[in-house]
Amino acid sequence: MIALRTASLCKSFRVKRKMPGLSGSIRSLFRPEWEERTAVSDINLTVHAGETVAFLGPNGAGKSTTIKMLTGILHPTSGNAEVLGFTPWRDRTKLAYRIGTVFGQKSQLWYHLPPMDTFDLISRIYELKQSDYKARRKDLIERFELEPYLHTPVRKLSLGERMRCEIAASFLHRPQLLFLDEPTIGLDVLVKQRIRELIRELNRKEGTTVFLTSHDAGDVEELCTRAVVIHHGGILLDAKVEQLKRDILNRKTITLTLKPDSPSAIQARIAGTEIVSNEGRRMKLSVDLSQTDIDLVLSALVGKFRLEDVTVEDPPLEEIIKHIYGMRTGGAGPESGLEASRQAGAGAGGRRL
Amino acid sequence: MNGRLSFLSAKGRKIEAIYRITLRQQLAYKVDFMLRASFLLLILYVFIQLWSAAYEGDTERLIAGFSLKQIIWYLVFTEALTMASPQLSLRIEEEVKNGDIAIRLIRPLSYLSYHYSSYMAEAVFRFGIHLVVGSFIAWLFVGPPTFGFGWLGLLSLSAGALTIAFLLNGIVAMCAFWIEETRGLEFVLQKLKFTVGGMLLPIDLMPEWLQRICAWLPFQAVLYIPARTAVAYEEVSMLQYFAVQAAWIVVLGIGIWTIYRRGVTRLHVNGG
Repeated sequence: MIALRTASLCKSFRVKRKMPGLSGSIRSLFRPEWEERTAVSDINLTVHAGETVAFLGPNGAGKSTTIKMLTGILHPTSGNAEVLGFTPWRDRTKLAYRIGTVFGQKSQLWYHLPPMDTFDLISRIYELKQSDYKARRKDLIERFELEPYLHTPVRKLSLGERMRCEIAASFLHRPQLLFLDEPTIGLDVLVKQRIRELIRELNRKEGTTVFLTSHDAGDVEELCTRAVVIHHGGILLDAKVEQLKRDILNRKTITLTLKPDSPSAIQARIAGTEIVSNEGRRMKLSVDLSQTDIDLVLSALVGKFRLEDVTVEDPPLEEIIKHIYGMRTGGAGPESGLEASRQAGAGAGGRRL
Repeated sequence: MNGRLSFLSAKGRKIEAIYRITLRQQLAYKVDFMLRASFLLLILYVFIQLWSAAYEGDTERLIAGFSLKQIIWYLVFTEALTMASPQLSLRIEEEVKNGDIAIRLIRPLSYLSYHYSSYMAEAVFRFGIHLVVGSFIAWLFVGPPTFGFGWLGLLSLSAGALTIAFLLNGIVAMCAFWIEETRGLEFVLQKLKFTVGGMLLPIDLMPEWLQRICAWLPFQAVLYIPARTAVAYEEVSMLQYFAVQAAWIVVLGIGIWTIYRRGVTRLHVNGG
């Protein structure tokens, strides 16, 4: 079943262009100059029910604008979208019963009141049957461990506590599709981890489709199976997260801590690796998996050094994205089977990175 | 028919829920209420002195059919109604500017219904408080409000009055979809209510030609109509007043709805 589908979705808006200085301001008062900016251009996307999709891109790429069109908040300039069978901006209220939306940077909770009051309000607004609502609320309170904060005014909650309440609130009406706009922004590692677990669990247990935007590589790696990268308002890449990590940037980062009596790092030249940093006894290597295998590198390292500690990591997704940009604009980087899944439309926007 | 009824009752329950939560949130602003209440006392004190001078202390005298006592109580009612209005345009302008409007629009509820019910919750609550505070000082200086049915008239016409105030403020607020600052427009609206709305003095005291203009404007339905009914119940036609209010509610309601429909399609939410 298709959860959402967009066809050539575009959104542009006009901004007043102002010259610097007072004279510029005065001139724009009498003869305003308008500039057309493209926030989203030609987005074609299909998401199936139950999928977990990450929508990635740098600031101003059009991620939030797209989510806001898909939830019916914004009207597109042109193009079409269908979310759970509705045209979002035309059937906004009808669609609202069936989707949940969380904006990491905006709160839906009433600031001076305890979260419980907002939950009750939501139960009325979504016309939930009171017995169902109470059972659902109890379940979510347990799963999200909200009991200690339920009766504390929201303004006195920490960001992490608040965010858990926000997400629980958006699950009260059992949405089929959940939009998360930067859900873990500003949270510490442990809280992020917990929130990802909760969303993943809801996706698994209730089959909720998840569509999220994030800057955080962890959100994508741990929560999503598919990644859509947008840039300048258009889709740059649409691929499985696994495939993205494997094919686009087939590198791993090895961090070593050497024992004090180990040979110095300078002598370390292992084929297919590159030293990224070298500070005292800590060394970071980047391994190109198209030239060598991780086990070869590790055994070479063990042969050359006396190791105190070693970690092997996937590169952060930010780097992957940067890499794709590099490939598109400079033509550098490995060509891969993903070429075919890239779509036209990038570069049409008025914004720059 | 049944479906229609259940639709209406579901909508009614939503509006009631928002009304209740706004009221609860309001209770967090105690200091704000105290400040407003003391300011009201000050204003009324000044006006009592002013009108006492105009009437030269003569409690029997009538000016344009109003006794001193009626004028003072009239002021209490118009002040209570004026100060009841929350700053709707400021709020909507902020929502449009900083993108918080997104939080309102993710709900299965119309944006205008949300604001109407939250506006009314605040306005009715504040109206009550200001009525009590204003009554205290007026009672002290000009005697008890022995208006009989006038009270019933005041309370029943105030619902329409506050609704029209919402619609007027809302129409100004909707301009936030097009222009960056609505404060100027709001200022003009407020001053119109003060003058041709009959807040500072009953419209009957104005020159004939101005009275004729005021009769065709919506501002009198917000302040003059309920306050005059309160102090001079015998002289007014309640039916006519209700009709005037209803007509303005329809006209302004269509107006705000049309402006909103056009405005929301142009919305570009700032901040990512």
